[in-house]
Amino acid sequence: MSTEEARVRPLRALRGRGQRDREVELWLVGLNHETAPVELRERLAIPEDLVAEQGRKLVESGLVREATVLATCNRVEVVAVADRGASDVAAGLTAALAHQSGLTPQAIAEHRYVHRGKLALRHLFRVTASLDSMMVGESQILGQVKEQFRLAVEAGAAAKLLRRCFERSFTVAKRVRSETGVAAKSVSISSAAVELARRIFDGLEDKTAMLIGAGKMAELAARHLLGQGIASVIVTNRSFDRAVDLARTFGGTPVPFDRFLQYLHLADVVLGSVAASGYMIGPPQLNEVMRARRRRPMFFIDLGVPRNFDPAINDLENVYLYNIDDLANVADDHRVERQREAVRAESIVDEEVERFWPRLAGQDLTPTIVALREKFHGIGRGELERAMRALKSLEPAERAALEAMTQAIVNKILHLPLAALKELATSEDGGAALEATELIHQLFALELQEESQDDGEAGPG
Amino acid sequence: MEAILLKASLLSYLVGTLAGAAHLIRPGDAARSTATIALALGFVLQAAAIVVRVLEFGSFAVASFGEQIAFFTCLLAGGYLLAQMRYHLAVLGAVVGPIGFVGVLAMLVAHGEMRDVPPDLRSPWLPIHITLAFLGNAAFGLACLVSLVYLWQERQLKTHSVGRFLRRLPPLETLDDVNFRFLTWGFILLTLGILSGVLWAELSFGRLWSWEPRTIWSTIIWMIYAVLLHGRVTVGWGGRRAATLTIVGFGVLFVSFIGVNMLAPGRHAGSFE
Repeated sequence: MSTEEARVRPLRALRGRGQRDREVELWLVGLNHETAPVELRERLAIPEDLVAEQGRKLVESGLVREATVLATCNRVEVVAVADRGASDVAAGLTAALAHQSGLTPQAIAEHRYVHRGKLALRHLFRVTASLDSMMVGESQILGQVKEQFRLAVEAGAAAKLLRRCFERSFTVAKRVRSETGVAAKSVSISSAAVELARRIFDGLEDKTAMLIGAGKMAELAARHLLGQGIASVIVTNRSFDRAVDLARTFGGTPVPFDRFLQYLHLADVVLGSVAASGYMIGPPQLNEVMRARRRRPMFFIDLGVPRNFDPAINDLENVYLYNIDDLANVADDHRVERQREAVRAESIVDEEVERFWPRLAGQDLTPTIVALREKFHGIGRGELERAMRALKSLEPAERAALEAMTQAIVNKILHLPLAALKELATSEDGGAALEATELIHQLFALELQEESQDDGEAGPG
Repeated sequence: MEAILLKASLLSYLVGTLAGAAHLIRPGDAARSTATIALALGFVLQAAAIVVRVLEFGSFAVASFGEQIAFFTCLLAGGYLLAQMRYHLAVLGAVVGPIGFVGVLAMLVAHGEMRDVPPDLRSPWLPIHITLAFLGNAAFGLACLVSLVYLWQERQLKTHSVGRFLRRLPPLETLDDVNFRFLTWGFILLTLGILSGVLWAELSFGRLWSWEPRTIWSTIIWMIYAVLLHGRVTVGWGGRRAATLTIVGFGVLFVSFIGVNMLAPGRHAGSFE
C-alpha cells in the first residue's frame, strides 16, 4: 500500500474552534471473513454491549482521538482518528484487538489489514454498502454499523470527524442500494437457510423451529421461516423474559434455557445464536434427541459466534449442520449476477470517495472560499449600513449605487486571491492547498461550520 | 408392426433422455414436460409392442433374457410415470430414459430368439406369476434409483457443497417417503409373485416348493426386503441407512437375476429345461 499511503493527506479536525489546527489521520484496522478463519473470528468476537466500551477505552488510552469498533459475525474492525504522525497506531490498535480476546498481537497480525487515510475511508464505505460482506448486498450490515456507531457516539468514543465519515458512508450505502441491483439480488442468510430447509423437508407446514438465543440474525431467519409457512416456533434464551417477549411476537412457545434439551426433539430446524463460549449441543446429547424423534432429519443453523453447535454433530445420521460460512456458500449460485452489480456498486463507492475525501482532508477549498467571501462581504455590508445611518437623506437610486459600489470593491479585492485558490484546489499538490487554507484561516480568522461542508444529504439516521 | 412400434419407442426414449438431461442441466418447464411426454410415449409404444408380440406368439412371451430385460424396463418406466404424477421426480427421467432405451434395444435383439413355451407351463398362471414378480422387481428398481438420488443429495447437504443440480432434486424427506412407498409396493408384489408361484406349482405340479436357484434367490431377496421394511416400520430406519440397504437389496436382486439366467438353467431361466 506504499504508493497509496504516500498520497494520504492529513485530515484537519478541530478547525474553526479558534484553536491552532491539529492534523489528524484516519485509520482502519480489522479482520474479516476473507482474511481470517471463523475460528479466529469467533475468538475475536466482541459482545454487542461491549463494542462501544472498547472504543471508549481506546480513546481514553490516548492512542487515538476518536474510535468506533465494528463487530459483526464476519468482521472486527476499528475505525479511528489519530494524531498525524503518531507512531504505532496500527500496532496499538492491533494489540488492543488482540488483548480483549486474550490473543497475542502476533496471532492476528497476519490476518489483519491496515488502511490509512483515503483507503480507510474507502474500506468503511465498502463495508457499510455491504460490498465487503460475505454475502455481498445483504441488508443487515448497514443497520449494524449504524447501531454500533450510535453506541460509540453515546459512549463518547466517536465525535465530529468520525460522524462525518460514518454519516457519509450511510448515504453511500443508500445510494448503492437504490442505484444498483446488489441488494435486490442478494440472498441473505435467512433465504439461504430457507432454501436449504426446503431441500431437506418435503414441506415446512408441519415443522417446528427452535430459537436458542435471541441473536438478531437468528430472529430474522426465524421470521423468514415463519413467512415461509413453518408451523411453530419454540424460543429459549438465557433471559427468560426475553424469550417470552420474543415468543409472543412469533406466536411461539418460550421454554426455560436450562431445560431446552428436553424440548429439542420437537424441533426440525434449530437456530443457535447464543453468545457464549463452549458448545451448547454435542453428539452425545443429540444422539439421544435423534432417538427420541426416530431419526427424522434435523437442520441446525449455527449463527452464533463463537459457534454454538459442535461441528461433529454434522456426522450424525440425518443431522445437517450449517454455520454462517456454509450458508454463504449456498448463495454462491447467484454470485456471478451479484458480482456484476457489485462492479457498478464499487464504482459508486470510488466516485463517492473521490468526492468526499478532498473535503474531509481539507483539500477542498470551497468552504474556505465561501467563508472568505462571506467574511469580506460581511465587512462590506457592515460598513455600508453604518454609512447609510449617517446618510439618511439619500435618494433610493443613490443608495443602490453605493451598495453596488461596495459589492464591486469587495469582489475586485477578492478576485485575484480567489482565482489563485481555485487554481490550487484543482492542482495535484494537496499540500500547497492545505497550507494556503491554513494561512488564510489564520490571516482572516475564518470560522468554518464543519457540518455545512457536507452536501446536507448526509443527515443523521 | 412390432418392429415399427419398437423403433418409435426407441426414438421416444431417446428424446425423453435428452430432454431429461437438458432439464437437469438447465431446468425448465418445457424440458420437463417434453421429457415426461416422450417417456410416456416410449412406454406406451413399448407396451403395445409387447402386446403385439404376445398376440402373435399366442403365449406370454418373456422367455428369453432380452425379453425379460425389456419387460422389466417397461414396467419400471410405467412405475416411474405413475409416481411422477404424484411426486415431482422429473430428475429420475434422465435415468429412466436410458433404461427404457436399453430395454427396447434388448427386445429388438431378442426378436430372433423367441422360444416356445413348453406345454406344461402354458397356463393362465404364467402371465400372473411373471407380471407380479416383475412388477415387484420394477418397484425395487425404482426404490434403488430414488435411493441413489437420496444419497447424492444427502452427500451434498452434508458436505455443504450444494451444487447447481441440487435445486432440481426433490427434498430428502420426499425421496425417503417415495423410497418407502416403492419398497412397500415392491414387497407386496414380490410376496404375491412368490405366492402365485407356490400356488401354481401346488395346483399344477403337486408340490409347493422346488429348490432351484431362482426360488432360493427370490427367498433371500424377499428376506432382505422384509428386514429392511421391518426396520423402517419398527425401529425407524430411514435416510441413508434405508437408502443404502435398498441399493444393496436391488444389487443382490440384479446380480442374482443375471446370474441365474446365465449360470443356472431351469424353468425360471428361460430355458425351460
